[in-house]
Amino acid sequence: MRDSIYLAVRYLRHHRAKTLLLVLSLSVFLGLPLVMRAMSRATQQSLLSRAEATPLLLGKKGSSLDLVVEALYFQLKGVEPITEADVDAIHGTGLALGIPIRTGLMARGFPLVGTSLDYFPFRKLRIAEGRGLAMMGDCVLGSAVSETLGLGSGDALLTSPSTLFDLAGVYPLKLHVVGVLEPAHGPDDEAVFVDVKTAWVAEGLGHGHQDLARAGPDVVLKRQEGTVTANAKLVQYNEITESNVDSFHFHGDPSTYPVSAAIAVPHDEKASILLRGRFVDAPTRQLVRPAQVVDSLNKQIFRFERVLQIVMWTVGLATAVMFVLVMVLSWRLRAEELRTMTRLGCSRWKVAQIMGAEIALMVGASILTAGVFGILMAQYGEAWLQNLILRGS
Amino acid sequence: MISLRDVRFEYARGGFSLNVAELAVPSGARAAAIGPSGSGKTTLLNLISGIERPRSGEVSTAGVRVDRLSPAARRSFRITKIGFVFQEFLLLEYLDVLDNILYPYRLHRELRLDASVRSRAHRLASDLGLKSLLDRLPAELSQGERQRVAIARALVTSPTLILADEPTGTLDPATKQQALDLLFEQCEARSTTLLMVTHDHGLLEQFGQIIDVEALGPTEA
Repeated sequence: MRDSIYLAVRYLRHHRAKTLLLVLSLSVFLGLPLVMRAMSRATQQSLLSRAEATPLLLGKKGSSLDLVVEALYFQLKGVEPITEADVDAIHGTGLALGIPIRTGLMARGFPLVGTSLDYFPFRKLRIAEGRGLAMMGDCVLGSAVSETLGLGSGDALLTSPSTLFDLAGVYPLKLHVVGVLEPAHGPDDEAVFVDVKTAWVAEGLGHGHQDLARAGPDVVLKRQEGTVTANAKLVQYNEITESNVDSFHFHGDPSTYPVSAAIAVPHDEKASILLRGRFVDAPTRQLVRPAQVVDSLNKQIFRFERVLQIVMWTVGLATAVMFVLVMVLSWRLRAEELRTMTRLGCSRWKVAQIMGAEIALMVGASILTAGVFGILMAQYGEAWLQNLILRGS
Repeated sequence: MISLRDVRFEYARGGFSLNVAELAVPSGARAAAIGPSGSGKTTLLNLISGIERPRSGEVSTAGVRVDRLSPAARRSFRITKIGFVFQEFLLLEYLDVLDNILYPYRLHRELRLDASVRSRAHRLASDLGLKSLLDRLPAELSQGERQRVAIARALVTSPTLILADEPTGTLDPATKQQALDLLFEQCEARSTTLLMVTHDHGLLEQFGQIIDVEALGPTEA
């Protein structure tokens, strides 16, 4: 057997381009359907587990899938906002805890999530380094954000301008990194968390500037009946500090300020049913069960996956046929060599052994390649596929 | 050494038969088989080596009744007792010169590839002027060099008989004589019997025995 393997290795090495092509084709044939299936299962499970951990989600009427994707997985879908008053209304029912979720802005490529302190114990997120949110302008980083950007507590992070070329638009807000979360192996790892009021400031809905009462005539244009009009010389703060935090304020009623969604955490099952009942006929709001939404998404993915599996097996079959064809043609081209073997005294069994060793080595290398591919996909593919599904949903 | 008596052979698919009333080649002889194309020269070599089995008659090679051996025993006999040199050399393109010489040892478990065999292969390569070419592939060799590799491969198992089927057919005259001289020299040094098929009548004076295949017995085409 050792000699058969030796000859097979020498043959395959000599024809390395053909061998490589066959090994890669077989690897795809063997690996891809299985890897895709495993990855798809893991992704669906991962999506579902986060949805199942979120009892109810309140949002503006519209696509429930977009609402869930934006509020749970922080993939921006441009959902219409509800208001802070809706979050207060959830509290007001006495049936559930309301946790606001404000998304829409980014900070160096990662989603900025405005929420309340209740979010962290609700998601079982723990601080790995530093502390939690304490004042406006603080931010807490997900573990992947910290690792990718190389930031930790004590560092600063600028929000990304929402309108890059609009000089009159909202300027970036300098956030203070006060803590980093432990890895949670989910979307929370890739988010920058701030208090919802900080999110509003970052959006330009609240602001801070120098005290107008003490501003000189070069800044103040007009003082009339308690209203002060200032010119562009007025110093606007783009960082919230202990010394200027008191100057930050919101015009109008903060209860009308936008939140993308509100997570409702009912106190018990009865409270959940009662709360859902209250929103059944709500004209502009929807209270969804994220698990049901993700489950229906998973069913669609499963249907698509079945079609994909059929396509892959068809491609696989074509690859297998091509492999057999290449081998048969190769043996026909090597007819003289095989005849020489038998003329010298080699048995047909030995010839078959040598040919078998060639096939076994190629199949072995293909399984190995498919295995390495599978491990790599298991390592990185789930997040990639999840991202793909959520972006495409 | 080689003895055929009352041999009748025909291919299963028909159309050709070879009859040999009597043929004897003594041990250590240098014999040439001649005859026009289709006269059965190659078939004769196949019968002597046990590649083909006669319908009747006796074929004895190196004291062994080849016609009575099982297929497995004939293969074993062939690879241990006979060395082949083919017209097209039939070297393996993916093996280097040393591996081509040692090739028979990769094909049958009765031949064990050990240090002494490797040493013999190196000695043979040296004798045949191939020492500096051992790591080359056949595609990198000249026709004459390839023929020398084929001769080394035939001799490496220390066979008692060399069957050569027009081994110089594709060589130019100068290379042809060089290859023949090497073959004769190596066979004489080892007292190995040589039976060579040739079309080249100019070479016949160098052989001790000439076998006209057409004259061996009635041949039907």
